[in-house]
Formats: sequence, structure tokens, C-alpha cells
Amino acid sequence: MTTDISLIRNFCIVAHIDHGKSTLADRMLELTHTVDQRTMRAQYLDRMDLERERGITIKAQAVRLFHEGYELNLIDTPGHVDFTYEVSRSLAACEGAILLVDAAQGLEAQTLANYHLARDAGLTIVPALNKIDLPAAEPDKRADELAHLLDTDPDRILRVSAKTGEGVPELLKAVIDRVDPPTGDPDAPLQALIFDSAFDTYRGVITYVRVKQGTLSSNARIRMFATRITSEAEEAGVMAPEATPVDSLGPGEVGYLVTGLKDVHQAKVGDTITLAGKSGASEPLPGYLEPKPMVWSGLFPAEGGDYSELREALDKLKLSDSALVYEPETSQALGFGFRVGFLGLLHMDIVRERLEREFGLELIATAPNVEFHVFKGDTETVVHNPAEMPPGGDYDRVEEPVVYATIITPAEYLGAIFELCQARRGEMVDMEYLTPERVEVHYVLPLAEIVFDFFDQLKSKTRGFASLDYEPYGFQESKLVRVDVLLHGEPVDAFSSVVHRDKAYQYGKQMTERLKELIPRQLFDVAVQASIGSKVIARETVKAKRKDVLAKCYGGDITRKRKLLETQKKGKERMRRVGRVDVPQEAFIAALRVDEGAKKR
Amino acid sequence: MNAGIYVHIPFCLTRCGYCDFNAYAGLDGLKPSYLEALLSEADLAAPAWDGQSFVSVFLGGGTPTTVAPADLRALLTRLRDRFELDDRAEVTIEANPDTVTDASLTALLDAGYSRISLGAQSFDTSVLAALERIHQPDSVRAAVAAARRAGYRNLSLDLIYGARGETLESWRRTLDEALALAPDHVSAYALTIEPATSLGRKVASGESPAPDPDLQADMFMAACEALAEAGYRHYEISNWARPGFECLHNLGYWERRPYVGLGAGAHSYRDDVRWWNVRPPETYIEMLARRQLPIGGSESLEPSDAYLEEVFLKLRILEGVPSSWFDAERYERYVQSGLLTDDLGTLVPTERGMLLLNELVLGLTG
Repeated sequence: MTTDISLIRNFCIVAHIDHGKSTLADRMLELTHTVDQRTMRAQYLDRMDLERERGITIKAQAVRLFHEGYELNLIDTPGHVDFTYEVSRSLAACEGAILLVDAAQGLEAQTLANYHLARDAGLTIVPALNKIDLPAAEPDKRADELAHLLDTDPDRILRVSAKTGEGVPELLKAVIDRVDPPTGDPDAPLQALIFDSAFDTYRGVITYVRVKQGTLSSNARIRMFATRITSEAEEAGVMAPEATPVDSLGPGEVGYLVTGLKDVHQAKVGDTITLAGKSGASEPLPGYLEPKPMVWSGLFPAEGGDYSELREALDKLKLSDSALVYEPETSQALGFGFRVGFLGLLHMDIVRERLEREFGLELIATAPNVEFHVFKGDTETVVHNPAEMPPGGDYDRVEEPVVYATIITPAEYLGAIFELCQARRGEMVDMEYLTPERVEVHYVLPLAEIVFDFFDQLKSKTRGFASLDYEPYGFQESKLVRVDVLLHGEPVDAFSSVVHRDKAYQYGKQMTERLKELIPRQLFDVAVQASIGSKVIARETVKAKRKDVLAKCYGGDITRKRKLLETQKKGKERMRRVGRVDVPQEAFIAALRVDEGAKKR
Repeated sequence: MNAGIYVHIPFCLTRCGYCDFNAYAGLDGLKPSYLEALLSEADLAAPAWDGQSFVSVFLGGGTPTTVAPADLRALLTRLRDRFELDDRAEVTIEANPDTVTDASLTALLDAGYSRISLGAQSFDTSVLAALERIHQPDSVRAAVAAARRAGYRNLSLDLIYGARGETLESWRRTLDEALALAPDHVSAYALTIEPATSLGRKVASGESPAPDPDLQADMFMAACEALAEAGYRHYEISNWARPGFECLHNLGYWERRPYVGLGAGAHSYRDDVRWWNVRPPETYIEMLARRQLPIGGSESLEPSDAYLEEVFLKLRILEGVPSSWFDAERYERYVQSGLLTDDLGTLVPTERGMLLLNELVLGLTG
């Protein structure tokens, strides 16, 4: 039984993290009796444990609600800058978007960026202020701010408390009234947009789809446009909110499809599903992009022997994570591992955490780096690993990726933001006062400057008030150099880094000082040096050890002493050897640790 | 092989800040029953050692001299009755300078305790305070004089270096003061911070700094120099003696000779088996009151354990270990870098090598 198309509304919620999107979704599930009180739990739609713990949504989800005769498809969007592309595909599955803004905190950069995406996609915007029950809420002020942005009347902005449920019925009514129903010919050749995909151990690849035109039946023989894979579909259905099979999905409908495929790379987000054979559509839906890693890091098993386990784990993870790419890498210092590409720092963190948590692996990760394009004569080399960058001078120029960053901040912190962006090699594009107190600033910044502690710095310099969003903005030439770190004259590839020439000295000094503290004293003086090519730019010395434990050793001490030696022997076996220097893996982990926080977006 | 007898006396006047031995202040009420238990244990343990000759007795603690000389005499008499103790056996008693008098020293020597080891630790008042010792340098001088007056011909001083605030100069003065008393034997220990001690807690909490290993290395070298100059032979990492005054009993541990340990927490060893008594004095007393051997645990050494012990114990003393036990590549680097000497196929650590003994053992045994 398919619903009359004029009674369908497809919408999503655009909100900043913590502004209450998941809580609002919970209230909608309750209000529409989609989930009964007994089975209700907080943040119902956030399935993965990891998501629930971090309070963010990684995978978009679609849930069908029935309300006053209407079929409402709520499409959840990821709330993180790493997943902008996934957001854009979710938006493409909707006709409308609730723009949800915290009535105390006001508009944030992330929301603004996604609002722009939604507006550009032609979606009807239903603005709403959340958390009006909070004592700190300033609904009138925030309504003015939003109205100004949207060029609308403040009266059109709804006011809700997702926590108490106040205003949620009115919001649903506004969605029904203001958002257009979808259109589409059920008899036209099938075009269904994949806006998310997941991997299920038992059922294989499950795609979440929005049918644009034509009809997708449960047992259709389907074809993917981008990958040209054909397959027998196994089941079509809707999330209500648990998976419920249906005979077919018609135009405007949102649901899932068990594809019969075994690898998510065969059914990519943004791709179009049509029917195999002559009855299929001749054109895909617009807007498909290959997922493109932005950040790279070497992942190595802490125990050398776990390499094959790491490979198996990555292979398994790849089945459910279409954005994950990796290639084998051999490090002199860390042994066999992989150079892994991620959409961003959060993605990197999630992958690492899943590898450790779900597969029980202990990992050493090198500092994240971006991709560099190295030009020499007519050849261009793409470098994902700083250790592969040619040494100083052996190329004509290097390009690095830059991003277009949007920062929203209270005006009083503008100075601090200028200073920070300046120090991070940023170039201001423009700025605009949203209200007399709040400013939107745009910068072009090297991505490499953001992947470290930029976000932390931004938050600490603005007492947490500024927000950041960014999108890729191509590549630009930069004065970059490779800084190597040497122990006792031996370069440690895992510590090589590509940094701007002006920051090379600072980086070298920081690394040598850090390593001086981390490397245990050896039987000889160990020089810790940083160099560009053959030129040493920083040096520290780990002085030779002169004395180890000299405890007395009489009758009662001997057993204890022997056990201590055995423990030390095991510790020594776990050490990595760089030339003549023994380095415990803890030292690698600590030296490579990036300041926390860049990921807590 | 000649064996030794160790007797543990767990009583102390106070706990010192660095000491994590099985020792207790304020348990004096247990003394009579503890001594009774020691005599019973000698009775019960001796049959297993039938046919074994013993060449040394060592009364350690704790502070053995907190026990009345008459009781200590009875104890030694019982040991002689039960064990085949050589007439010329070395019999050592550890003493705290504040716990001895002319009369007690005379009585102890007469009872057969012919070697005395005095816990001097330092001659610097502030270092003694940092170690949480209650005696003063003058007590040490007085105790040595009293011991000599009583007729002691074999006297050892214990010293500790590297306590908070101690400088190299202060340590050199302590060495000079100690040598001025002309002891026959000197033990000098680098202060080791044990977690379950008053100092250990202070270091863990940051209240007190951990000893500086480089300064302790300098102090060790200063000790080697001063003691060698004064004619003492460096025969174990932390022990020096005038020729002929090496501690026979302690050499037994390092040479892996058998020993029987009597008293709470005391360890025994024979033929690659080590066992130890229960630690709490009360439990020890109760078990012996029931005529039970108070054994708390044991271990049988695997050949690999025995090998490791052999290496690290024999490297502590001048006896050294045969180079044929190791691949040449394992020890040659240490010979070249001056941590070991290869004396006709015997590897002995140099003074620098003694400081890095753990490193040497790990490097040699891999």
C-alpha cells in the first residue's frame, strides 16, 4: 500500500551538535506514536554505541512517521564537518528542512553551512528555536537573528522545547503546511538516490534510498550507475522505525533496500539505483561524488605480529565504511602497517576507535597529515606520507589543500580570531555582521593547519563561543619542507612531517624537546635532532645512563630481583630499535599524540 | 657446600623512612613468644638439614639488639645444638647504634656474636633526618668505641647515600668520618625508594624528590675511590672489606650456597628450591605454637631461572661469570665500552659496569 504522493513530506533537521536534534526526533517519534513509551529510549535513532556515546550521528537514518493522515519521512543528517557530502546527499532526498537553533546559543557555523546547503538544494526551510525552556534562552533575540538571516518574519519562526515537547505538534504542522509534497511519475524509468548505506553481517549491503521517479519493487533486478554493478534486490522496506518490508517504494518515498550486494563500495552514497536492462533510466541523478580522503595517518599494530589482524580488521571495516581507503606501508621504526585515508579527524578517530574496540587491536598512529602535490618538471606526484616527500630542494614546487572556513563568533573575539587565523597562514575572504554582536568571518586556510589543534585553539580563545565549519577549496602552492627527526643520526620515518618553512624550526624544537623527555637513557649519549635535508635545525641530547637499580640483594631479595629483571627483559623485547637506540612504544605513542579536541566538533 | 643460617628479628624502636623490610615498631609485647617460636622453628627445621655443615649465622632485622643479650645467647646455643655449626663460624649481629652499651656488647661477644654490623647510614645530621633515622652521628662513634672496648675484632658499618639534600661533598665527609672509625667492613647502599615506605609515599606524592641517579653514580664512584685508598677491597657492588673481612654469610647468597632462614618472612634456599616463612610475626608465632613449620610459600627454579640468578648474583661479586656462557657478540661490546673486564675467560664488571648491572644482565642474557 503506497501513500498518495500529495500526503508525503520528506524533511530533515539541520542543527548544530548539542542543539537538540536527536531529542527533537525522539519527541516526534513519541508524538506520532511511531515508538511506544515502553520501547522508547533517549536518542532512539542513533543506533551505533559509538554514536550514542559521542552524542553525534554518523550514519544518516530515515524514519517514517504517520501524523494526521500524512506520511512524514524524517531523514537524519550527520552533524559533522567531515561528512558534508553525506549531508548534501541526505538533503537531496528531502523537500524541506527544519533549521533548528538553540535559543540560548544562537546560530553556529555548522548550522549555517548546512542551511546554505539546504537552501542551495532548493529545500523549504522551516526555522525553529529549541530549548525555549532554558533560563538562558533568548528566543526574541534569536528569532530576530534568524529572521534576518532567512529574510523572513520573526513570527514565522517556531519555538519548541524538544525536552518537554512544547511546540513540537505545531512544528509538525508547519512541516506539513509549508513543505511541498514530492513529485514524480511512478511509471517513469526508476531513479532512486542512495543517501546512505550500511553493511549488515547477515543481509549484506543495505542502502537507504529516496525514489525520485519510477517504482522500486522488492525483488527488482537493479543496477548502480556509478559502479555499474547489477544485483537482485532482496527486500524493500521502510523504517517505522524498525525495518518493515513493503512490496515497493513509489516516487517521493523513502526507505531501505537490501541490495544483495556484499560490499558497500558497490553501492555508494550519492549514486543512483535504476533497473537493470532496457527498462532502466538512461541518466543518473546529479551530484554524485567519489568520497575523497582529506586526512592521512599511518596505522601500525603496537605488537608487530598483529599486522595480519589489522589488515583483516580494515578489510571488514571497509565493508561498512565506503569512505575508508588504505594502502600497506612499511615504516623502519614501526614495522608493517597501513597508510589510511579519512574524510577528516572525526572519521579518523572513529575508525581508530572501532579498530581498537571492535577488533581488540592496540595501535600506534602517526600524526595526521594532508595530501601534498609535488611538482618537478612535467611530473606531479601525490604524497600521502611525509616520509615519501622528496628531501628539501628536490622539486620545483609543492601544493597543499586549502579549505574555505566559516567562523561565527561574538564580535568581541574577532581580534583573537584574526590572530589565530593569521598564525595559521589563513587569508581572510570577507566578514559580515549577522547582528551587531555576532559576526560571520570567512577564511581560506591550509587544511594542514586545521587538522592539528585549530578547533581547540579557536574554542579556548573565544571561551567556547566561536563555531567553525569548512569545505575543501582546492590546492595552493606553499613553501613547505619536510622535517626529519633523527635519533643518534638515524632518521625515524614515523616522525617526519611536512610543515611550512616558517614553522619548521618550531616543529623541530618541539619534537626534539618532547623526545628528549620520552626516550629512556641508553648506555651512550643519544643525539635527538631535527633536520631539513642535511641541515640540522634543532638538537637535544639524552644523556647516557650511568646507574640503574642498585638495590641490595640478600637472601630475601633474590626472587623479587629476578622477577624484576624478567619484567625488564619483556619490556626490552617490546621496544623498537632505531639504529642503536631502543625506543619503547609508549614513547612513539606519546610523541605522536595530537592534542585532543580537533575532533570534538 | 657450606651453608648459612639467617635469623630474622622483626622488632625495631621506630620505622625508618626508607625501610620496607619485615620489621615493626611497637610489637615489643610479642618478643617472649617470638623468641620461643624461633627456638621451636630451629627444632623443627633442623632435621631436614641433617648432614649439612654451616659456616655462618646472621641475625638481621629489624633490630636484633632490641632483644636482651641473654635471649640472644640462648638462641645461638640452640642453633649450635640443632645445626652442624662450625666452631669458627662467622656469627654476625646487626645493631642499631642507640641499642648497644658496653655491657650488652660484652655479653654478645661472650655469647658468640663475634661480628657486629652497625647501621651508621650517615654522619650528616640532615641526611639522617631525611632518612627518618633517630640516632645522631655521635651515637655511631660511641657505639664503635664501645664495640672495640668490648673486644670486637670484626666490625662493619652500613652507609646509605643519595637521600634528599645530600650533596657529593657531604657524602665524602660521611665516608671520611666512617673511615676515621677504622671499620673492618663497609656496606654502602644507594638509597632505593620503595613504594610501601614513608619515603616512597612522599616521593609518589611529590612531597620529596626521587634520588638523582647521576648524583648517586657520582657518590658510588666517590665511595669506590675513598675506600680503595683506605685499603678496602671492593668485593660486591655495595660491600667493601679489609682483606680477610669479607662477609662470609652474605657471600653465600651471591655464590648461591644453601641457607636456612628462621623467623618471620625469612627465606631459605637449597638445590634450586627457595621457600619462605609467613611474614606477620603473629601468624609465625601461632603456627609454631602448633608445632607447624611456618612456611608461607615456595618456588622451584626452572633451569632458566637458576641461570638468570647465577648470572646476576655472580656478577655482583668479584667471582664473575665465565665468558663461555655467552655469545661473544653479547659481552664484547661491554668489554670494549669498559663495563666488563674479561680476565682469562671470566667476566667481571668494572665500577662503571656495577652501576649498570641490570643493563649488563639483560644484555648478556638477552
